[in-house]
Amino acid sequence: MASKFGLAGGIPERRVRPIWDAIDSRQFKNALKHCTPLLSKYPNSPYALALKALVLERMGKAEEAFSVCLNAKELLYTNDSVLIDDLTLSTLQIVFQRLDHLDMATSCYEYACGKFPSNLDLMMGLFNCYVREYSFVKQQQIAIKMYKIVGEERFLLWAVCSIQLQVLCGNGREKLLHLAEGLLKKHIASHSLHEPEALIVYISLLEQQSKYGDALELLTGKFGSLIMTEVDRLRLQGRLLARGGDCAAATSIFQKVLELCPDDWECFLHYLGCLLEDAGSLCVGTKNDSTYPLKSMDSQVSHLTDEAFGSRLSNASSLVQKLLTEASDDTVRCPYLANIEIERRKLLHGKGDANKLTEALIEYFFRFGHLACFASDVETFLHILDLDKKTQLLEKLMECCERIPTNPRKTLGQHITVFKIQNIVGSMFTLPLNELETTAVKMTQLYCENLPLSKDLDAQESMYGEDLLSMACNLLVQLFWRTRHIGYLVESIMILEFGLAVRRHIWQYKILLLHLYSHWSSLPLAYEWYKTLDVKNILLESVSHHILPQMLSSPLWADSTDILRDYLRFMDDHFRESADLTFLAYRHRSYSKVIEFVQFKERLQQSSQYMMAKIEKSILQLKQKANNIEEEEGILESLKHGVQFLELSDEIGSKSLTFNEELQLRPWWTPTCDKNYLLEPFEGSSYCTQETLHDQIKQSQAKVVKTIEKRSLLPRMVYLSIQCASSSFKESVEANGVVFDPKLSSELRLLLDRYANILGFSFQDAVGLAFDISSGLKDSEAWSCNLIDWMNFLVFLNAWNLYSHEVDGDSNRHGTWLIVNSILKKYILDKVGSMGPLESSPGCDLPNLVLLVTEPIAWHILVIQSCARSLVPSGKRKKKGGPAENFNVQLSQELQESILSVCETIELVRQWLNQQIIKSDDYKSESILSSLLEDKEEGPGKVYRVLESLTSSTSDVDFGDRITRALQSWSATVISRKIICSQRTALSNFLKICDSKIKSLQALKAHL
Amino acid sequence: MTTIRRFSCNDLLRFASVNLDHLTETFNMSFYMTYMARWPDYFHVAEAPGGKIMGYIMGKVEGQGESWHGHVTAVTVAPEYRRQQLAKKLMNLLEDVSDKIDKAYFVDLFVRASNTPAIKMYEKLDYVIYRRVLRYYSGEEDGLDMRKALSRDVERKSIIPLKRPVTPDELEYD
Repeated sequence: MASKFGLAGGIPERRVRPIWDAIDSRQFKNALKHCTPLLSKYPNSPYALALKALVLERMGKAEEAFSVCLNAKELLYTNDSVLIDDLTLSTLQIVFQRLDHLDMATSCYEYACGKFPSNLDLMMGLFNCYVREYSFVKQQQIAIKMYKIVGEERFLLWAVCSIQLQVLCGNGREKLLHLAEGLLKKHIASHSLHEPEALIVYISLLEQQSKYGDALELLTGKFGSLIMTEVDRLRLQGRLLARGGDCAAATSIFQKVLELCPDDWECFLHYLGCLLEDAGSLCVGTKNDSTYPLKSMDSQVSHLTDEAFGSRLSNASSLVQKLLTEASDDTVRCPYLANIEIERRKLLHGKGDANKLTEALIEYFFRFGHLACFASDVETFLHILDLDKKTQLLEKLMECCERIPTNPRKTLGQHITVFKIQNIVGSMFTLPLNELETTAVKMTQLYCENLPLSKDLDAQESMYGEDLLSMACNLLVQLFWRTRHIGYLVESIMILEFGLAVRRHIWQYKILLLHLYSHWSSLPLAYEWYKTLDVKNILLESVSHHILPQMLSSPLWADSTDILRDYLRFMDDHFRESADLTFLAYRHRSYSKVIEFVQFKERLQQSSQYMMAKIEKSILQLKQKANNIEEEEGILESLKHGVQFLELSDEIGSKSLTFNEELQLRPWWTPTCDKNYLLEPFEGSSYCTQETLHDQIKQSQAKVVKTIEKRSLLPRMVYLSIQCASSSFKESVEANGVVFDPKLSSELRLLLDRYANILGFSFQDAVGLAFDISSGLKDSEAWSCNLIDWMNFLVFLNAWNLYSHEVDGDSNRHGTWLIVNSILKKYILDKVGSMGPLESSPGCDLPNLVLLVTEPIAWHILVIQSCARSLVPSGKRKKKGGPAENFNVQLSQELQESILSVCETIELVRQWLNQQIIKSDDYKSESILSSLLEDKEEGPGKVYRVLESLTSSTSDVDFGDRITRALQSWSATVISRKIICSQRTALSNFLKICDSKIKSLQALKAHL
Repeated sequence: MTTIRRFSCNDLLRFASVNLDHLTETFNMSFYMTYMARWPDYFHVAEAPGGKIMGYIMGKVEGQGESWHGHVTAVTVAPEYRRQQLAKKLMNLLEDVSDKIDKAYFVDLFVRASNTPAIKMYEKLDYVIYRRVLRYYSGEEDGLDMRKALSRDVERKSIIPLKRPVTPDELEYD
């Protein structure tokens, strides 16, 4: 860093170099030492001060640094004799930015630019400040100024980008684009155009105004050669022609691209779309950025007459034929797939023949059936076939596998492909149980038989047939779903663990496994596997969904805190540095990236997961401190008493959230975080097809919005509940000298109203329902899907009622106490009563049990603590006699009863936990293994026996050293013990939470 | 089947199936974005039918005089799309940009000395081991600097192997 400094602020470089050297080598104390003589020699140098501030900030002395910065700023503004240069300002800027005072840095630059209006360095610095602040209008203004001074193309483009940003990411109207266009036109007239990116931006500007003709003129004119790669130019040309509606010309351009790049599938779709003039293809190039891109091939029906349609498709066939003849190597797949697409279009147009489509598919299979991507290549085409045709196709593919003489690797690949196709067409979900099992066994056998193919591969390389074990696992999970026989679940786990013992890097196995372990209350083990995926940086946004939701309803608070912290840190760091990277794009003239970076930052800022994580982090803190009201109040204070989240809750409905999770990598049984088919009964063909998957995702996204709205009320409601409860006794409050603001009570009432609305009820109806359920008039089923929310509602309702006494009137002033206490106990009793032993009850409701204790019960204990605190006034002596005293006695009694009741409730959980923990590991482990060893014709164990015979046999088959060692090391007993151990860890964590709650309640009771 | 296009930020949210592979490093955001901002023509992604990401290549161009060269920072392909020469296509694209647009002399890359499969693949693509860099990877494992000459290096001087290994601090660029 030091190297970039010459004479700065009038200080010779030799004097500042030691400071920079010390900073670069992180010797901040040393750097500070050097600052002292410098400042005594140059007491009025803003640069010297800026350096000192920089050092102080790096040492963590933020306040001192800030005050030194302010001194420097003051000097800049007031002392006319000081030198103002970019070095001084940029050094100050760094410190101000790190101290979250971007505005100060900006005003320094603004001041300097006012003083030296033609200094380009300072203006660039100011531009950079505006980039950091996302002030697009100001960016534009300063860029124009720079452009006027030096007439350089880049500054004009900076201005143009700033205008585009106003329109795309700000409030700018579209007519601004016209202004930008005018600026460019004028510039070109006098200076021409030199940068390829400038041309791209100009064209995008015209496209945004639908001026496709103008854009084409530009591209095909003399500037077109700025785009040096011919296919890139042609693709752009094709897109403009298509969007402008000139299908014939677009078709011939896309044809040219295909002749140059015969494997460009997207281009073929554009070509075909333009050829057949379907509307969908006329907006080519607007990239679908959804994480679940709808296939652009869906539902395109041409409006052409039959004759025209036929003749155009025959043109397409000729082109494809030509491409096939010219294709030089056997890796070009596009033309083969193109044939299938042509047949599909015919079918869509009502002129097709499903047999021909099947033939084309088989032809494709002959060539590429061994590739791992074959099934996903053809997936879209399969959906157009009816069930009969699908079945016929499958039979033919199986025949092909037997017929094609080829090498064993290819044969294996083809077999795998057939299994995958079976899965795609849904036939795996219609098979009778025994066939399903036979298939799983077959897959496993195939994997084992083909292991020798991989014996010479490097340990890092993926092995042949790895897909087989994932597929077998999927079938075993289905068997488990359909039969509820735990042995199948055990087998599905064993098979994955086995695969990972053979090669430990297979992330597909790890993801399946972590979901299976999560389902089976073995979250610590699930988390272990998750950690081996090394999810970091941007993957935290797209991959965390595999573990985060489960963790948040678990007793693993420390791990949950880590996950949330790492994720939020990543996101916040990105928001902090993103603008600097945008400026980098400006500097390097990658103008299209400027727009992209700003849009991407916005996408992440609107991330539903990001918002959720921010709320959940705070709620988790509240949960962790809920045993101690003073500590809880500390947390609440740091959360501004929940007010910020309240604002988020208000706004969430109008925000357009982004959903950036890569859901495709989730297992079939849990396509979204809030869906787990294994928790539902198997109902025939209810398998998640593409369509239901899409609906499921939409539902799930809508639910997330509601959940954010609801959860962000929570911190404020906890705060208000504590306040209301503490004022349940006006006399005590007065005795403590605290005045309660009745507005807080009305606020809580309003929030209760909103909370009830989110749950789909009016406040009155919600209260009515609670009363009816508690008195047994209504069935509690109404609550089952939102159990925790309802319990939270009740707890907050009680807190509010303690002050307002509005719910149950004067006759039964504290009736809501009783309702809360009894309902909490009832549900806990229901839960622990219905949950079997963990080791034999996958999918049991442990998460809800944990949530009951750590949320509603925790908040309820806080309410109790708050009442107790107000009941025992600090400092002043209690008044004796009078109605207040009687009231105190009554409340005290109610508190005592509540404490007792909550203790009993938690005790029920403790007892259940202890029953679970006390059983020996051997016993549990054996019970897991025994589910595999039932010696029956039917039922689980067959897949396991395939693995067992492979690992225990001393066959002559040569697997190579590495695989042989792995096979020998594998042990089902070890795995079963790991599961038990993991469950035990989860239970112990939960037990600790329960213990601490009981302890704190007992202490409170003693104090009363 | 490969639609190859420039890598964009949104691809970062769709590349998990490529990056979960243990040999593919997931860098921090400023790393990806710096490459996108500075060398957008050296950062490409391959898409399959249906829009799945098959793999990508990121690289840069740097150096002075006869060391002006393209550099492959990362090239990676998802398991589902391996064994169909996709890496070769991506490498060829980068070589093409280095050769024709930036008129570089050669393309180079670094690979772990233990990563035999990758080394073999690069050799098939006409890369030669130019030199060994001692303890290049986290100060532990040696790296191999592999190079391929481009048309501008008529005499193919850039790829004449060095006789002795070098240390990381002897590298001109990092």
